[in-house]
Amino acid sequence: MLLALILIPLLTAAVVPLAPKRSVGQVALLGTLVALALAAYLTLGRDWSGPDAGRDLAVSAPWMPELGLVFKLGTDGLSMSLVALTALLGPICVACSFTAVTQRVRTYYGWLLVLQAAMTGVFLARDMILFYVFFEFTLVPMFVLISLYGSTNRKAAAVKFFLYTFTGSVIALAGIVYAAWFNANRVDAADPVAKALVAASPDLVLGRWTFDLASLQAAASRFMSAETQWWVFLALLCGFAVKVPLVPVHTWLPLAHTEAPTAGSVVLAGVLLKLGTYGLLKIAIGLCPAGAMAWAPTIGLLCLLGIVGAGLICWVQTDVKKLVAYSSVAHLGFCVLGLFAFNDAGVQGSVLYMINHGLSTGALFLCIGMIYERYHTRSMREIGGLAARMPIWATFMVFFTMASVGLPGLNGFVSEFLCLLGAFQAGDVWRSHPLTVGGTGGNLGPYVAAIAGTGMIIAAMYLLYMLGHVVFGPLREPHHDEHHSASGGAHDAEPRLPADLTAREIGVLAPLAVLCLVLGVYPKPLMRMVDPGVKEVIAAVEGARTQRPATRPVAEGDAGAAPALATQEAAR
Amino acid sequence: MIGGTLVTLLAQGPIPADMGGVTLAHYLVVSAVMFVLGLVGFMVRRNLIIMFLCTELMFQAAGIALIAFSRFHMNHTGQTFVIFVLTVAAAEAAMALALVVLLFRRKETLDGAAWRELKG
Amino acid sequence: MTHLLSHLASVALAASPPAEGAARAAAPVLGRVVEGPWTAVLIPGLPLLAAVLVALCAAGRVRSKLPAWITVGCLAGAFAAAVQTYLAVVHQPGLAQGVRVLEWIHLSWGEKPGQSFAADFGLYLDSLTMLWMLFVTGLATLIALYASEYMAHDLGAGYNRFYFAFALFVFSMSCLVMGDNLILLYLGWEGVGLCSYLLIGYFYKKPSAVAAAKKAFIMNRIGDLGLALGIMLTFVQFGSVRYAEIFEAAAPYLTLAGEGRIGEIPLLIQLIPVLFTVGAFGKSAQLPLYVWLPDAMEGPTPVSALIHAATMVTAGVYLVARFLPLYQCSTWALPIVAWTGAGTALLAATIGMAQFDIKRIMAYSTVSQLGYMFAGLGVLTSAGAAYHVFTHAFFKATLFLGCGAVMHGFAGQLDLRKLSGVAFMKGWGIVGLAMLVGCLNLAGFPFTAGFFSKDMILAEAFASPTYQALGWVLLFTAGLTAYYTFRVFFRVFIGPKFYEPGDELHAHDDHGHGHGGAHGHGDGHGHAPAKAKATADAAHDFHPHAPGWAINVVMVLLTVGSILAAYPYLISWVPGLIDASSARVIEVAHGGEHAHGTFFGYDPHAVMYYVSAIVGAVGIIFAFVLHFVGRTGAATAKADALLPVFGPLARWAQNKWYVDEFYNFLVRVPLLVISHVLHLADKLLVDGLVDLAGFMPQAAGRGLRRQQTGALNGYAFGMVLGVGVIAAIGAVLLW
Repeated sequence: MLLALILIPLLTAAVVPLAPKRSVGQVALLGTLVALALAAYLTLGRDWSGPDAGRDLAVSAPWMPELGLVFKLGTDGLSMSLVALTALLGPICVACSFTAVTQRVRTYYGWLLVLQAAMTGVFLARDMILFYVFFEFTLVPMFVLISLYGSTNRKAAAVKFFLYTFTGSVIALAGIVYAAWFNANRVDAADPVAKALVAASPDLVLGRWTFDLASLQAAASRFMSAETQWWVFLALLCGFAVKVPLVPVHTWLPLAHTEAPTAGSVVLAGVLLKLGTYGLLKIAIGLCPAGAMAWAPTIGLLCLLGIVGAGLICWVQTDVKKLVAYSSVAHLGFCVLGLFAFNDAGVQGSVLYMINHGLSTGALFLCIGMIYERYHTRSMREIGGLAARMPIWATFMVFFTMASVGLPGLNGFVSEFLCLLGAFQAGDVWRSHPLTVGGTGGNLGPYVAAIAGTGMIIAAMYLLYMLGHVVFGPLREPHHDEHHSASGGAHDAEPRLPADLTAREIGVLAPLAVLCLVLGVYPKPLMRMVDPGVKEVIAAVEGARTQRPATRPVAEGDAGAAPALATQEAAR
Repeated sequence: MIGGTLVTLLAQGPIPADMGGVTLAHYLVVSAVMFVLGLVGFMVRRNLIIMFLCTELMFQAAGIALIAFSRFHMNHTGQTFVIFVLTVAAAEAAMALALVVLLFRRKETLDGAAWRELKG
Repeated sequence: MTHLLSHLASVALAASPPAEGAARAAAPVLGRVVEGPWTAVLIPGLPLLAAVLVALCAAGRVRSKLPAWITVGCLAGAFAAAVQTYLAVVHQPGLAQGVRVLEWIHLSWGEKPGQSFAADFGLYLDSLTMLWMLFVTGLATLIALYASEYMAHDLGAGYNRFYFAFALFVFSMSCLVMGDNLILLYLGWEGVGLCSYLLIGYFYKKPSAVAAAKKAFIMNRIGDLGLALGIMLTFVQFGSVRYAEIFEAAAPYLTLAGEGRIGEIPLLIQLIPVLFTVGAFGKSAQLPLYVWLPDAMEGPTPVSALIHAATMVTAGVYLVARFLPLYQCSTWALPIVAWTGAGTALLAATIGMAQFDIKRIMAYSTVSQLGYMFAGLGVLTSAGAAYHVFTHAFFKATLFLGCGAVMHGFAGQLDLRKLSGVAFMKGWGIVGLAMLVGCLNLAGFPFTAGFFSKDMILAEAFASPTYQALGWVLLFTAGLTAYYTFRVFFRVFIGPKFYEPGDELHAHDDHGHGHGGAHGHGDGHGHAPAKAKATADAAHDFHPHAPGWAINVVMVLLTVGSILAAYPYLISWVPGLIDASSARVIEVAHGGEHAHGTFFGYDPHAVMYYVSAIVGAVGIIFAFVLHFVGRTGAATAKADALLPVFGPLARWAQNKWYVDEFYNFLVRVPLLVISHVLHLADKLLVDGLVDLAGFMPQAAGRGLRRQQTGALNGYAFGMVLGVGVIAAIGAVLLW
């Protein structure tokens, strides 16, 4: 079943080059719809709330046994929800490209499908190397999509995207390999703790070479010293933070988003960024909970920088797409902030944020893409007041903007509020107030939440600024539109689009709108679905917190100072 | 090449009880001299064929050293290795000379300096 | 309405003796909730249904008045349900009633209190809730009916959009008021903000309307941040966001507050109401966040009447009233509320005196009256504040709808210098009369509802020894209010007949306007406005468009409502309005020396009637002399002669004390500069470093490229050199 989720897009990608040029899109759509149907069946057809839900779906086959590599796929509610998001965006990305992409369609849809397969693989992989392979393999299709089908500055954007994220993840690979080496060489299988672990779950491979996710997490979180964890976490962070992206390693994102074709932006915002947060959540924190705890204040600070800084940057953009791209940086700041609160509200909110951001920001990119198709510009100086010309589009635009602003009743609110609440609760400051019942302790706290909360105001500022310019106000349209499409040879083949949305475009946006509303009003099923995965992460961190209360990791605040002092002491 | 073969032949057979004062060092000196000759020739000369022959000279110098050590340590690996080197060198010579002929046809000269396409 | 009020009276008379002090029912048990009537679900449900149906109309491109009738019908149903529920609630005093509808956000990470987070779509019904819902649904029904005619020029997409946002607003407002937890309140809070945004920006082609909508939303968001932080702090402190559980968990603190031992309450608990206050000030347009409300008048007038005068802006008052027990636990919260309210009341009144746009005057008077309500809460007459909300809702809606009728009839004209004697024109009698009643209420003319409700607040302020100064501020403001209210009435509605049509602000698109696409001259005054030249070639002259039946019916009903709003006071039922709810004031034991403020030695409660009546009368007389006596035209009045006396003050007040400019200069511009700096830093510094990292290998490669000469000998030489260097290093190391 899980394998089929990866294979269906891959096989479709193999069939696409054989299809006649006219029906390439339909074939791709069919393939993604089949994948969506399967994902929907898996997601909706079973109860994911139990701790072992989805275990029966796991697939495992020897891959390179001498290296301890296993082709292992598995899932839980958390992974499955992201797989479902990926599968949902699949047909939407295909359908939104029917008129936008008219050249080299076979290559286009082929790579789009490969990309979907790779992203699905990331969420399902349960072997670290397999995870890494899928993780890196997403770069190739995305590189092709940006560099072949992007707009004017696409080459530079594609190269920067590829090299930047690649550099990060190579460092992450070092971290993964170190963890495996640690398990093989530093963990004694005869150790009573290890024996107890294996007795509890016989799948674990301790003390031998393996890249099995669960085994490495068990080994590293139990046996690795806090300081080592700090370093391993740093290595993983290099890979994942670039992908998220956290400030200051975010600069590839606006460029890539702006230059990518619409479907590329949708996938980028919808799923690719989530690979970073998912990696932090599922891999990094589970592997080095103590390291994660030590890094939490720093990451919290970076998130605040992202929320406030990137938010303010959005406010002075003139390129609509760039504005939404920067808003992703700000939004993902909330997401990561909730994650590093390490409490139920925060992590739960963070996971919901991944999905909600994928829906609402993906939809915003779709809306902007529809404008770009019609006017061939993204500049707010050239277009404006489009509500008069395109009322249906304007309705969708306002709706998704409101979802993005975090209006209660729509999906964005639930996740944003929970992230903030989690951050608010996660302060050691509550320990000094004995009558406080809802504080969980942690490294963030109410001040962090308050500063992050200004992000809500800033989000309203820049998103309404966008609405006020693009949707409302006096109508402004570029004058050269007509002969632009007439003179540019590339556009000759393009079918003329009507002023307002076509039925196909409404069909692309409507499912997202419905989901935004449903998840805003009735998020309960989704929350129940991801709950076991969330609890797992929190348990890992709690374990590290209780296990080693004495060894506070050296990293906090004065990372350099503490060891330096220690050596000075030793020298005397 | 003949020199190399001779050395190989000399090294065969049972160890003479008395090598008449010819020690390992003698062989190595011969080897070193040959190598340096080849090296200097390669760097100084510009004729492609001469340069090629100089490389061969260096090969054989290395061969002599290998065999000498092999004999000295009573370990046949070195000699085996030299046989391989010779075989490869033979094949290489055939290829290289053919290449030289082709290059000559292109520019009607054997001057190595005529070929600088790799200049960065 | 009458049915309700008579029932009210019977309940009041049956349940309690008429004396005011004794009328109070038993103190409510705040922590307990009993199952409420299911009909309560209809109150938010029917407006939601209306919104959905209107959305379907929009999808079906309906171009008739169908959306209006759907909305009016559903809202009327909601009003009926509200009446029914009110009766059910009033019959069970002391207990809040709860109705659960749908599970929303549930999280749990342990068994102990504070280890689970639950926010549902659930209703919390007590007298405070139902008081609000009564006037919200009632006024919404009437105003929807009014708007069916008012918006008729925009039949089609715009009409559908209007009614969708309208119905959604009522739904959001019901969530805000009826929700049983803070998160649902927050949903309503932001929901009404959204609807307000959509409706202020209804004429979306006008840049000023778009800017006003944006300003309203952002200003509200600033307040919302305070509210959100307050909610989080509440959760962390009390372990729940449900009202019933919050009050239960807060019980020990309430006891402390009741014993006057506020100092022993932890500071964090005291901080909660302060944070709520920030939210309340944003939504209810108080200092320093009030600037959005006057601008919000860019929206269609029915919207201004419903949202920006009668209902939404009272949400802040509701919030404070709902959490009054917590406010009483805080040392600073109530003084902040009281003084900010009084300050806003005064400031807005001074601005209102100097404006010429009648709708803006009404907007500033709304801000000012909201200030009164907060002051009332601050001086602990929650009943007075709630009653003022109630009366204000009626008379301010009347005033706004009257202004709206004028605007509608005179092609968007709102300038009081260009209209005069409207009440005497044909077909305008009802509007004129309604305006008179509304103005009398607002001015606090004796025996009007506004008089009684304002008196309660004034009297309580003077009765509190610490708030004497505040009482004087409010009293002075009352005089100013009477003046600027009647300034409008005397100039626009009576006096010599004159008019000059506006530039048709609200015919915003291609649909054309039913009655006034063309502009012309005033009737016989020969006063040709310059503006009209643009359309002077239009064949026919402009004729004022007298209001039709829908507007007149609504005006009559609202006028009657404004008058009858005095009824609860006359039967001493005012405390009963909110007594059985958390808005009931906790009696603080003063330990013997119960200080009671006096007004020059008299009991303020007794003497305030006369004092405020005199102050109001003085204001009205000033307006009469300055703006009516001897006035022959519309443009000028005697008051203009007084302007030099005030020097620059009048101009400053007319320019709203430059608060907008001040904010722009102090907040917006610096933020904009910071944003640009950040953007540049991001592009040049952060991304520059990345590019530098990419550039370095490139540069290194370019440098090393020279080594590649292409000459074979050169490579050989390089190799030898390299081997030599390695050998040399090896030799040195081995040594």
